[in-house]
Amino acid sequence: MREDAPLPTEASVREALHDVIDPELGFNIVDLGLVYDVNIDGRVVDVRMTMTTPGCPAQGFIVSGVEERLAQEEGITGVFVDVVWDPPWSPRMMSPVAKAHFRIREE
Amino acid sequence: MLTPTATDRISRWTPAIFACALGNFALAQALVAAGVRWAGVADLAAPTLAVVHLLTIGWITLLMFGALFQFVPVVTNSPLLSQRLSLGTLSFIELGLAGMVLGFFLLGSPLAALLPAGGSLVVIGILAGILNLAVPLARKRPLPLSARFIIAGLVLLFLTVSLGLAFALALTVPAAAQALGPMLANGVADHALAGLGGWFTLTAIGVSYELLPMFMLAPHERGAWGHAVFGTAILGFAAALLGGFESIKLFGQAAIGLAILLYLIDIARLYRDRKRRQIELHNQAAIGAFISLGIGLALALAAALSHGWTRAAPSLLFVVLFGWLSGLGLSQLYKIIPFLAWLARFGRRLGRGPVPRVQDLVNERSARYVFVAYFAAIAVGAAAAWLGLAPFLRGAIAVSLVATALLAREYRRAWRGHYAQTPRPAPVPGSPFHLPQP
Repeated sequence: MREDAPLPTEASVREALHDVIDPELGFNIVDLGLVYDVNIDGRVVDVRMTMTTPGCPAQGFIVSGVEERLAQEEGITGVFVDVVWDPPWSPRMMSPVAKAHFRIREE
Repeated sequence: MLTPTATDRISRWTPAIFACALGNFALAQALVAAGVRWAGVADLAAPTLAVVHLLTIGWITLLMFGALFQFVPVVTNSPLLSQRLSLGTLSFIELGLAGMVLGFFLLGSPLAALLPAGGSLVVIGILAGILNLAVPLARKRPLPLSARFIIAGLVLLFLTVSLGLAFALALTVPAAAQALGPMLANGVADHALAGLGGWFTLTAIGVSYELLPMFMLAPHERGAWGHAVFGTAILGFAAALLGGFESIKLFGQAAIGLAILLYLIDIARLYRDRKRRQIELHNQAAIGAFISLGIGLALALAAALSHGWTRAAPSLLFVVLFGWLSGLGLSQLYKIIPFLAWLARFGRRLGRGPVPRVQDLVNERSARYVFVAYFAAIAVGAAAAWLGLAPFLRGAIAVSLVATALLAREYRRAWRGHYAQTPRPAPVPGSPFHLPQP
């Protein structure tokens, strides 16, 4: 890592995580609303996220995908991913972009 | 680096189980298309029994176990007891079924002993499967509705195979026939009801209550309606199988019919309330299976009201086995196999570069016509079975065999990443599945 690499921000982390998809729904985990929280301590990033369903067989791959993608960012030296089930995910958590993709009406 | 828990929700033998199940289905279809008579429960010749058990044990039971080994860890968020037990289930069922089929064809000869011997191996395989699933189910509290259906289905599976083994002994061992004869007087009907209505249908209901909302983004909680389906079904099976009097058994059969009707209405509500307006092909094709279940229910009602079970049995058995259970299985495999293929081929690449979606591993346009042909063949076959037109029924099953073969080709293409737009990756070292990578 370059010493002068810019420190990560929540926006830069979320932007990077647009490259990680939920394979079944086929859409990125940020717009699906799976990323609940991003905390940054210097160059270490904590991601609090969920899955569309508990016990999802792809869970390990999605968590690993988040770690792999953020590890490619120059300013990040450590990534911790915490998978939580509260609150449970629902389609209401999707961004307007994802809702439009799935033709879900805004409530 | 994937953690140890990353893949412990994956059933390593499920793709191999699906492959064997599809092979058994094709063999059963080929036997009927080649001339083995399709008949009802009142008129079962030995070759017909061989075909029926190829379908029920070799195809649908294996399909159910393959799906449950992957599905129960998802529902319970807990791994199977052992991946090796899954291999044990596959091996014992396949070996035992081969013995049973040979035993049926050799009834009357000394080699007919293959029937109970094979049946015993099938029971061992099934017990291994039940044990493998019971551990994650026992860990889960509270039990979701889908898991309750599955547990009820497994209990009825145990009853079904116990009765089946008793039949195998009675057919081949004279002393057993004398001892078990009175107990087995009503056994054929109970065996069929517990197997087709209980193990297969209750389990399919449980799995559908989890998979359909997940894939269609529909309300997952089925509320009072879902519990009414479960309660009515359990009451019905208890009365129909354990009731000592004919009137109690009839009440039980009526309750089972009501439970299926409630379930079909709930499925219609589920499709109506889905958030995902444009649904994928597997859930479109599943509608053919639900219609088949409705037709099966109507046939059963007509038979019950007219005391015409003998006439209705061939078409009822056909529409339930080929339309409802096989139709639902073939349609859901069109989603499950690409998903497993994605895990095997692309999961470890996520976050490192572009990966396809699961949906990119299939070509719905080419498969859509195959599903239409399959369900059209089921409609023709059901009518032919009802009217007693054996050549038309054989022709319909031949068409269903071709459709099954074409779908199997689509499954294989999905498994191999044939349709993926991103560069096809080489087999991934340490793939989570025990099925030869192409």
